Amino acid sequence: MPLFAAGLSHKNAPVALREQLALDSDKLREVLRDAVATGTVREAVVLSTCNRVEVYGVAEAAGAARSALFGALCRQRGIAPASVEPLLYTHEDEDAIRHAFRVASSLDSMMIGEPQILGQVKDAFAVAQSCETVGPALHTLFTQAFGVAKRVRSETEIARHAVSVSFAAVELAKKIFAGLSRRAVLLVGAGKMGELAAKHLVEQGAFPIYVVNRTWTRAQEMARALSGTAMPFDELPTALAAVDIVVTSTGAPAPIVTRDMVARVMDGRGARPLFFIDIAVPRDVERGVDSLEDVYCYDIDDLKQVVDSNIRERLREAQRAEALVEREVAKFKARLGDVEVIPTIVSLRERLEEISRGEVKKTLARLPDATPETRAAVEALAASIVNKVLHAPITKLRESSRAGSHRSWLEVVHELFGLGRRS
Amino acid sequence: MYSYLLNAAIVAYACATGLSFAYLVQRHEVTHRLASLATATGWTAHTLALVVAAVETGRPPLGTLSNAVSVAIWVVVLLAMIVERQSGLRVLGAFVMPVVLVLGLKATMAGPPTLAPALGNAWIWVHIALALIGIAAFVLNFAGALMYVLQERQIRAKRPGRFYYRLPPLETLDHLTYRTLAIGFPFLTTGLILGAVWARTSWGTMFAPDPLAFFSVVAWIIYAGTLAGRAAGGWHGRRAAYYAIVGFAALVLTLGAGLFLPGMHGA
Repeated sequence: MPLFAAGLSHKNAPVALREQLALDSDKLREVLRDAVATGTVREAVVLSTCNRVEVYGVAEAAGAARSALFGALCRQRGIAPASVEPLLYTHEDEDAIRHAFRVASSLDSMMIGEPQILGQVKDAFAVAQSCETVGPALHTLFTQAFGVAKRVRSETEIARHAVSVSFAAVELAKKIFAGLSRRAVLLVGAGKMGELAAKHLVEQGAFPIYVVNRTWTRAQEMARALSGTAMPFDELPTALAAVDIVVTSTGAPAPIVTRDMVARVMDGRGARPLFFIDIAVPRDVERGVDSLEDVYCYDIDDLKQVVDSNIRERLREAQRAEALVEREVAKFKARLGDVEVIPTIVSLRERLEEISRGEVKKTLARLPDATPETRAAVEALAASIVNKVLHAPITKLRESSRAGSHRSWLEVVHELFGLGRRS
Repeated sequence: MYSYLLNAAIVAYACATGLSFAYLVQRHEVTHRLASLATATGWTAHTLALVVAAVETGRPPLGTLSNAVSVAIWVVVLLAMIVERQSGLRVLGAFVMPVVLVLGLKATMAGPPTLAPALGNAWIWVHIALALIGIAAFVLNFAGALMYVLQERQIRAKRPGRFYYRLPPLETLDHLTYRTLAIGFPFLTTGLILGAVWARTSWGTMFAPDPLAFFSVVAWIIYAGTLAGRAAGGWHGRRAAYYAIVGFAALVLTLGAGLFLPGMHGA
């Protein structure tokens, strides 16, 4: 019974449609239970995120199952199925396996390497499990997909380098300082992005946090939010001397941190570097500040450049991840084939041995005077014929399972040897 | 037997160098493991080579300068393996192994071991051993400095390239160069003093006309200046890294002079 994966994603469907189609988990359960109860599909998992709505299933006819499932999804949301149908893609068998692995590993995501998708796939799987629409095939497929996603994450760097400006700033800080724990941070201004960068730094262990703002109450507010200390605006130079990392995001029309100010501060610092993350537009830190020794300054354009280069790095890593997925697909296919082929091999052998036992018994009954040697020879003859006859079909079945063409061979073997209907 | 084992070690070091570069570029986990394996294999063969040499000659394997260089790189590889294990500086190999390889080739190039006539005194062995440990530490010092300069350049240029992603933070690299300088310098100093004292007792002068001695004093002055600058003058970062590179160049000249120019240390 073939595996399939069908649906639409950010690659071909507009966001408006994806939003319309997204279901809450209660409605989802209903659709899943109905689909399996009516026999449209034998097993089903529905993955519904803001970037994709997909059905993974096991069904005799993938096309019909897909139409039925998406028809039900559309009915739930009051969308005409005709508007969805042309956007749907369907992957079967090997392609379905590959698709599941790629989606879980975040290789099919809008931002390659984003971490949310794996959790979303796990949730979708759990929902289907709770509806008892997961059978052995999807169970193997999804547990394997989780394993592949984990391998991709740990063995490639697709998720390693920051793709947001604020995270890129944190990573830069980590290339200057050996660890961010107990590094003092100064936040100047109240911009949203500045606050975000400061939060990331705090998460990495940065401490203490100082906040400077022209508006005193705003400074206090921010300080509370970050468990830091507010300082008056005119103490900016004092604060600079005390910290390792400065995040600026004010709305000031001209630079508020000047080269002279920083030069004076650096005199008394010894070997401690000072890193400016200037997220403000126009810039808060005067041009030329980072020509001073031990001073590093990245403005918003520099950070964007770093992000671009990080994305290129992720794409390079994605190629390695694709190769890894490809290897895993091949392995999985072979295992899946073996799983399907082995019961047939067992029943084939049982069938022939049963015939052989019967014939040996009959023959020996007609030879009452046979010596033990003769009896043994007859038994050996029968066993040897069974093995010789079995050799070719078993080899063929194993080969075909590795090549992925075992299904038709299974039918043939069942027919030829009268093994009864395959389930 | 010695040269056979040494050649095996050099081949393994050459593999380790290639693999370390490959790791620096691609970051495949397997490549790093293979590089570590090649390094460990080379070092084991090298250890056996040195043991064999010591057993065959009945002396520490420091009788000729090429023997001594061989011991120096043995110490370098050992130190590099320890530092890598302790600090997780996985890219260190790419910076240390090329130096090891070049010095290792030098060590095999020199002709048959002819013993310098002066090697009767026990002190001379201590002189050589201490100087070699010093040199080994300075190889790591050089590697750290080189990484610092590359990483600092990338961060200043604001265009992250390969090295930005591969190399450790500046602070770690600065600590590495400071620590190796602080460890190597006393060894080098004591080694040089013993050499000078020994030269006076056997040649009657501390300042024999010897190219190796000359360049080693130049290197010592550069390192002494750097250490003083670091300890008292607040030197660090790029400036200290440049001096480390210059100091290492002087050390390379020292060994080159010892191997290729006539002098008291024997060519």
